[in-house]
Amino acid sequence: MTAIATAPASPTALTYNARKVLLILLTLAALVAVLSLMSTYNGLTLDDELAAESTLGRLALWMADQTGNDPDEVLSPLAQYADNWANELGLEELDPSVLFDSLRNLGNVYFGVIGIILLAALAGIILRPRSVQKFYFAALLLLDVLLFNIAAIDDSNALTLLIFAIGAALAAVVLAPARTGRIVGFFVALSFLMLGWEASKSFADSVNYKILLPQESWNYEVRLTLDEALMALDAGEIDIVVADRKDLDDLMPPHPPDDEDGEELPFQNLRYLARLDRTQGFGFLPIAPAFPGRLSLALRADDVEDISSARDILGRELVTVEGEFADEKYLNLPRNLVLLDLKILNDLNLPHLQMIAEAFLQPARRNGEFLLLRILSDAGLYTFSEAIFGFLFGAALGFALGSLFAHSPLMERGLLPYVVASQTVPILAIAPMVVIWLGASQLSVAVIAAYLTFFPVTINTLRGLQSPAAAQVELMRSYAASRWTIMWKLRFPAALPYIFTALKVSATASVVGAIIGELPSGIGEGLGRAILDFSSDYSMISTPKLWASIVMAATVGILFFVSVTLAERVALRGYIRDLD
Amino acid sequence: MSTDGKTIAITARNINKVFNPGSDEEVIALRDINLDVSAGEFISLIGPSGCGKSTLMRLVGDLLQPSAGELLVNGKRPQQARLDRDYGMVFQAATLYDWRSVAKNVQLPLEVMGFSKAEREERAAEMLEMVELGAFANHYPWQLSGGMQQRVSIARALVFDPSILLMDEPFGALDEFTRERMNLELLRIWEQTGKTIIFVTHSISEAVFLSNRIVVMSPRPGRITKIVSNDLPYPRDFTTRNLPAYHSLVADVRELLRDAHEV
Repeated sequence: MTAIATAPASPTALTYNARKVLLILLTLAALVAVLSLMSTYNGLTLDDELAAESTLGRLALWMADQTGNDPDEVLSPLAQYADNWANELGLEELDPSVLFDSLRNLGNVYFGVIGIILLAALAGIILRPRSVQKFYFAALLLLDVLLFNIAAIDDSNALTLLIFAIGAALAAVVLAPARTGRIVGFFVALSFLMLGWEASKSFADSVNYKILLPQESWNYEVRLTLDEALMALDAGEIDIVVADRKDLDDLMPPHPPDDEDGEELPFQNLRYLARLDRTQGFGFLPIAPAFPGRLSLALRADDVEDISSARDILGRELVTVEGEFADEKYLNLPRNLVLLDLKILNDLNLPHLQMIAEAFLQPARRNGEFLLLRILSDAGLYTFSEAIFGFLFGAALGFALGSLFAHSPLMERGLLPYVVASQTVPILAIAPMVVIWLGASQLSVAVIAAYLTFFPVTINTLRGLQSPAAAQVELMRSYAASRWTIMWKLRFPAALPYIFTALKVSATASVVGAIIGELPSGIGEGLGRAILDFSSDYSMISTPKLWASIVMAATVGILFFVSVTLAERVALRGYIRDLD
Repeated sequence: MSTDGKTIAITARNINKVFNPGSDEEVIALRDINLDVSAGEFISLIGPSGCGKSTLMRLVGDLLQPSAGELLVNGKRPQQARLDRDYGMVFQAATLYDWRSVAKNVQLPLEVMGFSKAEREERAAEMLEMVELGAFANHYPWQLSGGMQQRVSIARALVFDPSILLMDEPFGALDEFTRERMNLELLRIWEQTGKTIIFVTHSISEAVFLSNRIVVMSPRPGRITKIVSNDLPYPRDFTTRNLPAYHSLVADVRELLRDAHEV
């Protein structure tokens, strides 16, 4: 029997049996990928990069690191948990492998559940094909979560396997014969986006063009003080000292010599290079990272002719001072010298999803006490409270203005142009003025947020209050209703849908306004400062943290939007004709 | 069905209405209207577009004020009659409030007039029973058909027991079958309540079927061509439309309208 069905949700009009076969193949493919992932992870120890670099692996390492500290110290809940665990085991410090063994068990259960779901789907295709979509959907969600845990490691195909499995599950959800609901639709689109994100990274990896210098890193050592380093240079033990130019010019003459003379400097046999060619490259290729402008080189006077460019010092023995800029921010950076980097979707401008998730579950500073998640949640809550204030303030102002305009054409003609004009002034220009007037406080931030939110509410309140048809107003007049009664029984209820539309716009705008308002206010507790910190130059190596703050800011905005939408549903129960 | 010996509900003497007087867009909407309506009478105003039939109704209802002439409603000025809540109004669109359930829509006038909750609910339920929509009290307007919405609108107009019902083409937007059913329904309600009804329409058959008297009007300027008495016996039902008297009346009114149009 050949039953031909064309499900409306399916993009292709495959025959029923062809679709069954395709689904079975996809399920088997996903199953193979999941089982192979399971066996890969089962064989891992903490020494393996794949385990140590995964989000939960890194978290386990950090938790272990937080144990065994001073008992009086206040710990974050996760660290507290790890500490208690160590105490139960009778250990001073928790061994990461203990944590990792539990993770391995968790992983086995997790992969096992996905496997069972896929097997159930396989049985479903044969027995009740109309019911299988939910199995695929469950498997897809579970696999999606793994995107945030499995790290991209060069010599491992774990991420590729996962992407493969997600692709198969996604195709199966789309192909499975069923009517696609709203939630399924949302997550299918989300999975497509995430898959696209990771796929574009794999694509970029294959076309990225990068030239690395043979050196793994700078060849340098550190001394405790500058004096010590310069003495060693003077004594001929070493050849070059990399230090701050401002420190060096008090201690030795420059090369080439300047006009001033007569000054007795402590190191007469040494020279710092006043002119160093920093931009010079190899042929036509630029060197990266460029040698920073504030650094200079100290040399023995005899050697100054040999070294004139940043290239000349490669491979030589360098010395710098512990804790100085050259040590902390330049020489010790764990990167290769990149001659050319096309930077197409590399880890800097488009990190793996896992790197963003990991940024959330790692401390903001090395070995810090609190995870970024905690820090950003606190910042998000802080910004949220400012946004709510600004939102309420703006909504109240907007409603008051809108009502005023609706009742007085004179006011509308006279003031509305100013209200419109106010929105043409960039908020970035207004924000500092508000801070000057009201001081750097949360109040200023709320006012700045209100500045963004009152406008749509004003316009829509006005429009809404004027929306009742002439006959509806005449009806009220026939009941001899007062202006006030007409306002509360007719105009206001009629305006509510308009007002809620504006409130939804305002909710998200108020979060944006609060974040922008934090910047000139110098408020450090909110998301504005976090975004600024993570987007500043020296933390360009930490774009996942920037992404994490973007995700947090978006989450705050979405939460606000959703709460206003829920309030709208309650308030407009009778109004809305169909929600679907 | 003469009007002798009955109370006069509406008196219009030499009513004139001019829109935008003195400007280039001056329009003489009504000229020298004289009309008496007895209490409990069903009067239809009929005429082509622009004849001022709606304007006349709105003057009676104090939604507009006459430019000249004297207009009395229940012996009072229209504004006083409006403040005394003597009018129930039904428009061409049902003009129900979307956000109120059917019962709440019917209660609206009572809310405005400050009736107690218990009385509001009791009266609204009673009115909904009268228009046979008792089962739909908790529905929202958009869940009802056009005819049902208009019935709710009639229930709302009657719920505060006004003495005069002003209806401005109430069934104009309905299909023919619904319209005929609504006509029967309206007659039943009229006979049950004894209200004075001013009914604006441009359907000849509707006017003839419903009213005691038919006021035929003509445009530019709007004026009364003739007032036709309709002696068809009540109660009227669908057999009424088969009577020869009905057909001859329809023909008469059509003739009058044609004359009016040719002026």
